[in-house]
Amino acid sequence: MADASTVNPLLDLWRKQFEESAAAWTRVVGQAPPPPTDPTAFWRPVLNQGLEQWARLFAQTPMTPDLATQWKQFMDQWIEAWSKALGQAMNTDAYAQMMGKYLDQWLVASAPMKKAAEQQIDQALQTLNMASRSQLTAVAKQIIELEERLERMEDTLGAILQRLDHKEPK
Amino acid sequence: MALERFADVVERFTHGYGNGHTLEPRAETVTQWQEELERVVRRAENLQRMLTNPQEPKVGQTPRQEIYKKNKSRLYRYQSKRTHRTPLLFVPNLGISRPYIFDLMPGASFVEHMTREGFDFYMLDWGVFGPEDNDLSFEDCVTRILPRMTRKVLESSGAESLSVLGYCMGAPLSASFLAAYPETPVKNFINMAGPIDFSKIGLFGLWLDEKYFNVDRFVETIGAVPADMVKAGFKLLKPTMDLSTNLNLWWNLWNDKYVEGFNALNRWANEYVAFPGEFFRQWVGDFYQRNKLFRGEAVFGGRPARLSSISCPVFVVGAKEDYIAPPECVRALIDAVSSRDKDYVELPGGHISLIAGRGASLHCWPKVSSWLAPRS
Repeated sequence: MADASTVNPLLDLWRKQFEESAAAWTRVVGQAPPPPTDPTAFWRPVLNQGLEQWARLFAQTPMTPDLATQWKQFMDQWIEAWSKALGQAMNTDAYAQMMGKYLDQWLVASAPMKKAAEQQIDQALQTLNMASRSQLTAVAKQIIELEERLERMEDTLGAILQRLDHKEPK
Repeated sequence: MALERFADVVERFTHGYGNGHTLEPRAETVTQWQEELERVVRRAENLQRMLTNPQEPKVGQTPRQEIYKKNKSRLYRYQSKRTHRTPLLFVPNLGISRPYIFDLMPGASFVEHMTREGFDFYMLDWGVFGPEDNDLSFEDCVTRILPRMTRKVLESSGAESLSVLGYCMGAPLSASFLAAYPETPVKNFINMAGPIDFSKIGLFGLWLDEKYFNVDRFVETIGAVPADMVKAGFKLLKPTMDLSTNLNLWWNLWNDKYVEGFNALNRWANEYVAFPGEFFRQWVGDFYQRNKLFRGEAVFGGRPARLSSISCPVFVVGAKEDYIAPPECVRALIDAVSSRDKDYVELPGGHISLIAGRGASLHCWPKVSSWLAPRS
């Protein structure tokens, strides 16, 4: 059984960690949340623009008795109108900013998860006495480096042979 | 307001014929309906065949020989009658997609066209990269792979000089190589839909702007750019593309020849290739964000790469509806090089239809071969 002199510092350490993490959480929770963004504010004008473009294109098209052709024209115009409207919306700073922000958030959120998952998989493979992905990648990298070295040697040899050929009297 | 207009559209679509349009069942109309009925039956047959017995399209059928390989990259020489002395090295894009689009199927192949015209045609296939290639950078391609590939072309063909043709990203890659190694015996340089001035690159330029996209954080977090992410990026450029593709497939499903072409093209269009992490970092950082090559600030392997040091004959081909490499950004090469013999043509079509398909065989390929032939 462990004596009090070894247990007490561990308990102290645990209490300190608990207090610090609680304080960190309190700070995070206590921060004022960012103002909620209205996702429809960006897309509503795009929707209106798409419908307007479609209406314009549709009004210009003559009617034909061939129902299939009429349907195809209808669909083509619909796609064309939306393609234009979306293209215009995506070609704006607001859209680029929005996409960049989402990507950043995703990267920030996924980085620790990815790292943790990789560590766990590596540990599991190590327990099973199997090579991990990072080990296999390291071996493949070494092969690539060896190939590169061989090629450099081949190049040097080629250059030397060429020089010797030039020096030989004809 | 827009919703009212939409209601008008629906009204017109529903009752369009009732407002002054009187339709008499003419013989012509009946024939049209009969034809359409036959097409519907053919469509159903082909759809059933596509779903129950999908045929793997045969691509890349022009006979070729592997000349050299370096890690994942391969250099192929295509069989030709070789009526022109100067060999041609074709440099496609690295990552994104596979290069068999240039030899898609007999009768619809750029490689086949060029070999038929008597060019000694070599193609560089960069290959499909894995996590072990994450350290491969743009600079490595310029200083280690391309010089070796050109040497192998010259050795294999026995020629003293070669022509280089860069397509898409292959063009800035080749231009960087030619600018950094001006002593390379290059007789002609062709840029097909290759972006040069990245200040005019369009949507991708905006999305990848330093203000919104942190390429360092991106590469450090995910490493290599996976194929699915490359696919998502390109799909986002044209969100309605899949819809129009499928609609046109349904419309032409009765046509066996269309279905054959669709299968081959569709296989290619859905086979995306990952980017090595370091390559992506340099590609986005130095080209999209800082436009170093066009500004004359690029340095590869300690060698400055100035486009003005390219002095061989240059031919630039832009596509009018190219939203990946807009024509003005491709055309910029013409003013940047010091060549006296230089031409620019702007052809109809987009980034892919410039090089593949019926339009390409009519407009683009003959232009390229007829420009190159007298100079080879």
